[in-house]
Amino acid sequence: MDWTKQIIRYIAVMMLQVLLFDQLQLLGVCHPYIYILCLLMMPITLSHSADMLIGAAVGLVMDVFCNSLGVHMASCILVMFIRPYLLGAVVNDRDRLNEQICLRTLGWEAFIKYMVILVVIHHLTVFMLAAWSISHIIFVLVETLVSGFITCILILGYNALSDK
Amino acid sequence: MQSLLKILLRYSNFLVFIALEVAAFLLLYYNNAYPRSSMLSTANSIVAWQNEQINEIRGYFSLRRQNEQLAAENVSLRNQICSMDSAKNASAIHYMSAKVVQMTTDRLHNYLTISLGSNDGIVRGQGVRNEEGAVGFVRTVGPNYSVVLPLINTHTHLSCRFAKNDYLGTLVWNGKDNRFGQLADVSAHMVVNPGDTIVTSGLSPVFPEGIPVGIVENSVLKEGDAYHTIQVRLFTNFKRLKYVEVVQNAHQQELEELQNGLD
Repeated sequence: MDWTKQIIRYIAVMMLQVLLFDQLQLLGVCHPYIYILCLLMMPITLSHSADMLIGAAVGLVMDVFCNSLGVHMASCILVMFIRPYLLGAVVNDRDRLNEQICLRTLGWEAFIKYMVILVVIHHLTVFMLAAWSISHIIFVLVETLVSGFITCILILGYNALSDK
Repeated sequence: MQSLLKILLRYSNFLVFIALEVAAFLLLYYNNAYPRSSMLSTANSIVAWQNEQINEIRGYFSLRRQNEQLAAENVSLRNQICSMDSAKNASAIHYMSAKVVQMTTDRLHNYLTISLGSNDGIVRGQGVRNEEGAVGFVRTVGPNYSVVLPLINTHTHLSCRFAKNDYLGTLVWNGKDNRFGQLADVSAHMVVNPGDTIVTSGLSPVFPEGIPVGIVENSVLKEGDAYHTIQVRLFTNFKRLKYVEVVQNAHQQELEELQNGLD
């Protein structure tokens, strides 16, 4: 897999995230974090620990833009920790995992399961850590549902466009 | 020894996971408790520069409203000059105008980044206001930019008083609506009417006394409560914040040293 392509995609997605999606103010509950697209679609060629380190770095950069040091970092590390196990569970033949992880290589069912689970875990941990108290739990759950739904749609859209 | 190494190797991924998560939580904890590092926030020059560019583009869409605001401010400044009093406290305070380069209003922990930093004499803890009323406090200071903790952040506490009878209270925010703050610590025996004006108390050197904060929207006193639940409509419209003023109190350091010396 070509790592230059991964890095260019990361920069492009981060620019979209910071310039467009962080500026959205829809009802106060819509904060899609599409930057995790890069983590979800990264091929499994490195070791598990290296994956988690990349997750930590990606999360830290996002934290700098959000003034929320540690929040995105913790969530991304968790996502990268769970990812190989989840992939093993949703994909039947392991050979496919050596390629890029996307809608085309995994198929609809496996990819949607994989994506929804990781997006919900990521968004829920981000919003819970940011709120840092149980008293805002309803708000956090609504925020997770709305933002997670938008993020999933956007990731599917990206896959549909780049598959051609 | 060899078996120990084997176990460590076998669980190495899990150990890396735990180590990284601990690092993330330490960052989270220390950033909430001591937000010092300006490198890792929007006070960082590169991040703030990028935000300023976005802001520049958005600024064109609100020129008319900004002009109206500036004109209104000019009028009020002229009025102030006319009625200027030369009290000693007032002369210790002066304001520095700053541009808001980035701000969020729809999260639980909102922040704004302003275009003044330590090079302009900004220090942590200074108050920030605009022509409408109090805005917040300086939290993290970089060389050219600073991060401000606004009133609409669930971490913020501001000492306030009623303009009508100088009764004290603390303004907090419950994270729900960025137009309203909540006034805590107002005892049940105090009579609170909708429309009462809330101003800064002047008890801390951060804000001079009497800067407008908001007016009481409604107050609820349930049977058996010791304190009122007061909803305050903030004067500052955070969604439209473009320019703010940092309050510089020449006596702030002296006052804080005196107060810290008491502990």
